[in-house]
Amino acid sequence: MPNSGSTVSITIRKRPWWFWTFAGLWALLEVLIVQTAVASVRESEYRAAAMSWTAVAVLAAIGVLGCLFQGRSRV
Amino acid sequence: MQGVNRSNYVESEGKRTGRRALLTAAGLIAAGSVPAAVALLEGTTNGSGRKRARWVKDVDRPTLGEKTAEFKRFSGSNIFELHKQLKTERDGVGALEAEQAAKAKRLAGWMRQSKPGFRLPDHQLSEGAWTLMKSIKPGEGLLSWTRVAVSTPDELGVARHTAPPEEMAQTVKVAARLYGAGLVGIAPMNESYVNLRQARRDIVFEDVTVPAVTDTKVVIPRTMKWVVAIAIPMDLDLLSRAPTSLGDAATGLGYSHSAFTVASLAEFIRGLGYQAIPSVNDTALSVPFAIEAGIGELSRLNRLVTPEFGPAVRLCKVFTDLPMACDTPVDFGLVQFCRKCKKCAESCPSGALSFDDEPSFKTKGPWNNTGHKAWFEDSYLCFQHWQQVDNGCGICLASCPYTKAARAWIHDVVKATASVAPVTDGLFRVLDDAFGYGRQHDPEQWWAKDTPHGVRG
Repeated sequence: MPNSGSTVSITIRKRPWWFWTFAGLWALLEVLIVQTAVASVRESEYRAAAMSWTAVAVLAAIGVLGCLFQGRSRV
Repeated sequence: MQGVNRSNYVESEGKRTGRRALLTAAGLIAAGSVPAAVALLEGTTNGSGRKRARWVKDVDRPTLGEKTAEFKRFSGSNIFELHKQLKTERDGVGALEAEQAAKAKRLAGWMRQSKPGFRLPDHQLSEGAWTLMKSIKPGEGLLSWTRVAVSTPDELGVARHTAPPEEMAQTVKVAARLYGAGLVGIAPMNESYVNLRQARRDIVFEDVTVPAVTDTKVVIPRTMKWVVAIAIPMDLDLLSRAPTSLGDAATGLGYSHSAFTVASLAEFIRGLGYQAIPSVNDTALSVPFAIEAGIGELSRLNRLVTPEFGPAVRLCKVFTDLPMACDTPVDFGLVQFCRKCKKCAESCPSGALSFDDEPSFKTKGPWNNTGHKAWFEDSYLCFQHWQQVDNGCGICLASCPYTKAARAWIHDVVKATASVAPVTDGLFRVLDDAFGYGRQHDPEQWWAKDTPHGVRG
């Protein structure tokens, strides 16, 4: 046990203010576009619905990647 | 906990709890901001009981339609009569009749071939929708200028209804909405918007208290100082199938609902102890009254465009001596948008709509009233195209970016942004095309829909 008694220190950095701003905007956009996609189907605007669902997927992917990237840099 | 600095861990736990609270707060704010934004867009009710989105601003004068001394009462020629006259002048006697015979033959052929949108059920759906409108005559029956069946306050042994003008306006608007109005506003009477003639009779204003229709003239009392302007929304599911018989059914239904709405409202007003004249397309120009009542703005179509339903409305009105608070015109950035958009002009198969960047005083023919500024249309070309399809066309109404069902929030966000930031108008036009709005929907799919249809579309 060569390292017995030694101390390991982990610092978790606080998320910056802009992270929460972006997260809020992201959530708002997702809600708006999901509502648009659902409503477009009801309006029989199928092209608008397809584009909206694509936008939802792209935005979700950006969100997940953003969280992963930001999460790694916190430790 | 060996190997981990305990004090750091505790501090980290504290931060984590704080972040959780922050995250919860952020979530609540995000969740709360949606209804807050909706409420902001929803707007408030003003003194005369009209509820509009905040981005629809009340203004002192209409944004388009500036008038000169040349502006005068319109002849009131029926568009069909005018077209017949022009057709005869251009193509000779009997040209219109020959054209209509060819049209009837073509329609019958399409029905036999079951051409989508022009099959027998499509055509008869349209005929059914027109029933009420085709069975009325201005000043007679349902559209009588005097009471049809309602009991007057005198007959009921009560005094006529009185209230402050704001309250009266609210009462009339609520009743109009019940009878089918999508939008309703009050404008002051303007004699210059009233036609000169109706069914070969002069329309005159006289110092009498009761309207009258005689063999030689129709009399509007000068005491009728108020106009209830009404917009009836067209069925967007049908209109999106234009130019077919299904699209025409949206027009017929809009007119028939208009007739029912103004007839019912006129009887309601008479029942309160006042005089009322119901009018659909007859008697006076509907568009300027609707603009002054704040229902919408004049557009590139040279028709009214409303913030809520775009141009997909049919207009009608009721003249009355019931004192009410008047509304003001509105500005929601439409004229700026029309300058850049031009989608209606590009979509028009007959090339009847103007591509000019700016509106002008230059009219295109006798169907336009002189002395006011507008993007004037070539009604002759428009009517010629009508002869190629069923009764009407409607592509311009369906293609306008403001013609949207009110289900998606994004439409309100776009309209609100366009109203305050005209710099975005070009972008919104591009996006409208990219998202496929304004394209013709498959006529055959309409019959397969299992949802109930209604006038709201």
